[in-house]
Amino acid sequence: MITGIGITKTFRQRGGVLGAREVPALRGVDFAIDKGGAVSFIGESGSGKTTLGRIIAGLETHDGGEIVIDGVPMSSLRHRRRQPYFRRIQLIHQDPYSALNPTRTIHQTLEAPLRLRARQTGRSRSWADARAGELLSMVGLDPGYVLPRYPHQLSGGMRQRVVIARALTMDPEVLVADEAVSMIDVSLRLGILALLKDLRERLGVGVLFITHDIATARYIGDDGELYVLYRGQVVERGPTEKIIADPVHPYTQSLLSAIPVLHGLERPGAERVVPLETQREATPGPGCLFAPRCPFATERCERETPALSRDGQTEHACFHPQRRSVIPVGVGE
Amino acid sequence: MTVHTAAPEVRIRDLTVVYKTPAGELPAVRGVDLTLAPGTITGVVGESGSGKSTLALSLLNAVQPPGRIAAGSVEIDGLGDVLTLWGEDLRRARGRQVGYVFQAAQNSLNPLKTIGKQLLDLGRSHDVADLRALVRDAKDLLARMGMDGARVLDSYQHELSGGMRQRVGIMLALVLNAKVVVLDEPTTALDMITQATILRIIREVHEERALTTLVITHDVGAVAEVADSLAVMYGGRVVEHGPVTEVLGNARHPYTQGLIRAIPRLSGDLSLARALPGRPPTLGTLPGQGCVFRERCERRMEVCETDDPLPVNRDGRMVACHAADRHLTLVERKEFV
Repeated sequence: MITGIGITKTFRQRGGVLGAREVPALRGVDFAIDKGGAVSFIGESGSGKTTLGRIIAGLETHDGGEIVIDGVPMSSLRHRRRQPYFRRIQLIHQDPYSALNPTRTIHQTLEAPLRLRARQTGRSRSWADARAGELLSMVGLDPGYVLPRYPHQLSGGMRQRVVIARALTMDPEVLVADEAVSMIDVSLRLGILALLKDLRERLGVGVLFITHDIATARYIGDDGELYVLYRGQVVERGPTEKIIADPVHPYTQSLLSAIPVLHGLERPGAERVVPLETQREATPGPGCLFAPRCPFATERCERETPALSRDGQTEHACFHPQRRSVIPVGVGE
Repeated sequence: MTVHTAAPEVRIRDLTVVYKTPAGELPAVRGVDLTLAPGTITGVVGESGSGKSTLALSLLNAVQPPGRIAAGSVEIDGLGDVLTLWGEDLRRARGRQVGYVFQAAQNSLNPLKTIGKQLLDLGRSHDVADLRALVRDAKDLLARMGMDGARVLDSYQHELSGGMRQRVGIMLALVLNAKVVVLDEPTTALDMITQATILRIIREVHEERALTTLVITHDVGAVAEVADSLAVMYGGRVVEHGPVTEVLGNARHPYTQGLIRAIPRLSGDLSLARALPGRPPTLGTLPGQGCVFRERCERRMEVCETDDPLPVNRDGRMVACHAADRHLTLVERKEFV
């Protein structure tokens, strides 16, 4: 179980005529990932979803707030003592083409972390060798074919499976998948998603899925939780199916409305929301961050910041929550 | 301002493009027939290695070595066969008659020059007499796409967001009044909302300026949203082509059917979605004879091993498949890589 409380992160850009510029990436985010659960972070570029994923994987520091793993606050531990905790959280990189060392065979790529793992757990070297094959079979690859090969001899889909197998060498409890299928051919994407889903069910590994594509988040965990991030804030949160079917925050509605309709198979939602375009987004006012683009914004939204508040099964941060049917529906439904 | 003449028709006939490899010349595009009806948006969808980008480059006669257009013709109304043009004539046709928005327009702008300077370069290289009018047209186009034209022209590319650069790319392709426009992956690497905006802009500008537009993409959703007709490419072939609602709503080629089934959707039963088995062919793994899709096909027959299915036209639709007209129950297959 991993929880985050009020995570903040600000990047400082150096240089420029006006000196250093501060870019807030996360503005106080709370989250919880249960054992074996499926959690998705959804948002556009600049929403902070990738930064949050990296913080959770222990690859990035945060400025404020606290990460708690199994009841232990990470700030109470020294760096070395934290490592065994973050070992349980493994990141699957977005780009399977650059995530694997091109000069090493898959066998070598898997061998190094497995030897380390063998030492950590007091197992033998032969265990490590056998485990490499086991992991590859687990991700749906033929060990005999894949082990002696170099990354360039494998397809994108196979490479991504190797990356997942490598993440599994550390016996993780949570896999953080950051846009794990966006670089993969359309016809193969579903195979990778099905694999992540399968690992969840078979091994009880939790999956933190970071994406801009809400439909893939639905496939990974329709029983999961969805967090919609906008400029470093959670604007809506709740069960994935519920948020997709009944979004109430105008930003969530805009995201769902933007998903292309497969004409001929689907018809568009009746109340699609198109956000306003604005050129002055760099300096937010005191009010709601989405207000400058929100078609439903009122004066109050410009002045006050809505807090995340509970509303039935979900939470949202909006003064005017209203249900709208925005998602495409199948023609036959 | 814009002169509204009729949109031209584009006729691609028996186009074959080969690439030189250590294993000899291999076809990236093989025997493609495709007609872009005047005033319509045609979407070409395909995975990596399907030959879609090579097909698009052929419209400009711009296939680079080691590639070579081996056979066929690309006739554009008012221009003739592009593949017979060369030298100055070809250079003038590019931009004047055929506008091209490159894949990742984000990266195809010159980082050292303002957008305005690049616009003037474009004007001079095409001997535009009235550069002021050109700048005015450019500003109008940018304003049409929801941007502040004067500001954009004074900007360097790094000062613009991805969606803005994409619009600049569209402006540069249209400012010389090209009537045929090719957009290669126009929404890749853009955020969802920006993507929806760009698709809407493509549609609106297409209609206002009476263009004939070709959109190349791997994203079925993106073409579904914008195109009138949809061509599906696989292994260098067009395997299915027809009105977009019919191709998606009632796909006839097993590849199209599989591709549609492999897209996770927002509504409906998730358990119906499944990945296509196997993987897309590369130049080296394309079968020398028979159907290019048979390795991954759940309806393959003996004839598929030996005979290349010929394109069959019926009810305004084209399908190239031996099994397309037979009604068979689909066999469930286990997923593998």
